[in-house]
Amino acid sequence: MREAENNRELLSALADGQLRGAEFAHTVQWLGETDDARLTWHAYHLVGDVLRSGETMASDRDAAFVRRLKLSLQREAVPTLPFSATDSIAAHAENSGAAGLYEPKRGSANQSRFGWQLAAGLASLAVMSIMAWQVGDWRNQGAAAQLAQVPVQPATQQVASGAQTPIMIRDPRLDSLLAAHRQFGGTSALQMPAGFVRNATFEGAAR
Amino acid sequence: MRTTLIGNAGMRCLGAMAVLTLASIGFAQTRPPTVAPAAVEGGGAQRSVSEWLMRMHEASRRRAYVGTFVVSAGGTMSSARIWHVCDGEQQMERVESLTGVHRSTFRRNQQVVTFLPESRVVITEKRESLGLFPNLLKAQDSSIAQFYGARAGGHERVAGLEADVVQLQALDSLRFGYRVWTEQKTGLVVKLQTLDNDGRVLEQAAFSELQLDVPVSMAKLAQMMGNTEGYQIETPDLAKTSAAAEGWSLKNEVPGFKPMSCFKRLVGGTADARHESTLQWIFSDGLASVSLFVENFDSRRHGPPGATALGATATLTRRMGDWWLTAVGEVPAQTLLAFAQGLERKK
Repeated sequence: MREAENNRELLSALADGQLRGAEFAHTVQWLGETDDARLTWHAYHLVGDVLRSGETMASDRDAAFVRRLKLSLQREAVPTLPFSATDSIAAHAENSGAAGLYEPKRGSANQSRFGWQLAAGLASLAVMSIMAWQVGDWRNQGAAAQLAQVPVQPATQQVASGAQTPIMIRDPRLDSLLAAHRQFGGTSALQMPAGFVRNATFEGAAR
Repeated sequence: MRTTLIGNAGMRCLGAMAVLTLASIGFAQTRPPTVAPAAVEGGGAQRSVSEWLMRMHEASRRRAYVGTFVVSAGGTMSSARIWHVCDGEQQMERVESLTGVHRSTFRRNQQVVTFLPESRVVITEKRESLGLFPNLLKAQDSSIAQFYGARAGGHERVAGLEADVVQLQALDSLRFGYRVWTEQKTGLVVKLQTLDNDGRVLEQAAFSELQLDVPVSMAKLAQMMGNTEGYQIETPDLAKTSAAAEGWSLKNEVPGFKPMSCFKRLVGGTADARHESTLQWIFSDGLASVSLFVENFDSRRHGPPGATALGATATLTRRMGDWWLTAVGEVPAQTLLAFAQGLERKK
């Protein structure tokens, strides 16, 4: 009974990406060999998905797919050299280091939806700011006429790159120049401390 | 079952809401009232531009605080957690990014150390410009009062604190105006907006939460700043020079903007690019700054001329014979154009 509980704890930790080394290898092996473990593993992911998205997920279909996949894999006669899966997995897990202990980049089930909402907001903001800039009061008509000779990059280019990521990277080199400029944002009486903090806050976009 | 992932979706939702809320705040701003040149009006706050700026500067030198700082510009929003402490002589700051790349920036006076934990790189640099103030204001030829007017603009609450609002109005169209919120008792800048010539908000930065006079351990910050074990230390390749020595001059000065410094630097990019140095010539009118980057023209890397604006930051690129100019600054596009037209090769 206690062993089953321990195993479920290990499965939970595996689902969260927190297992390493021998524990990781044994849990994966147990998961591969035991139907009960696979059911629990599946249930944990389902619970996680529902908690994150607030929606129920079709789960039978996934289980059926795994069964079919397993059958077709068994039918394929792939010549393999005998080796210990446990050792191999353990070795890889050790090599993977501690970076995966907390996975900041791991996405949630509804990440894409939030991503698009954010992107839509950012895209509309970018359009508004560009419009604001373009309809600005050019008091110096001479300069405005000369400016017209300088092709302004289409707004859609910025918006499109902004839609992929909130950071508007137009060109890595231009970004490195922007970063270099910001490092000298202190050349301003307004820069203490708000300016330094502004630049340090802002630099994330460029670095 | 551990549910560590639930927080991610919530954070993203809050982030999206924050962006939209900030945007609506930013763009709902109405035109500022017209301003009498270089004059201070209203309330008991009879201060000149220089006095306002000195008060802001002094506030940061004397206070310890912890807060969350949010910058919204164009379509981007960035935020960071700030710890600030000072002992009269030394100022220390820790800025922990909450958006974008994981990054911790520590500053002790002019010494700046930036930790990038994902790439295990730490960048150490000395930013001389951070020490220029308050000399900028004390200098006899300070042009700040000549090109900006100050006007007290009432009181508002920011991050739960009562703040005085002051409008720093540009007196010509070569620079942007600012609206600054300073905490009433201390003078600390708690919110800053950059406004275009029509008074529209281009960019804003503000504390969303701020605790003043909290105990921040300078020793602990210093220990964190020095803990570079396991990191690769990088120092930007910077060499001080002068525009004249590099063969450049500005035949037509841009009103109010004075040259501050000039460097040769290796700027990022590809391995090829790193072999070439880029000249960075920095100008400031006291509040806004402009960098002129000049490098050899390379048809593989440099395309057609262009101009972009993101928030308050404008860029302009153009070819000048064998050279490629990139002008960057928190100024209107026409100011960059004036710089580009004034720049001249002497050699």
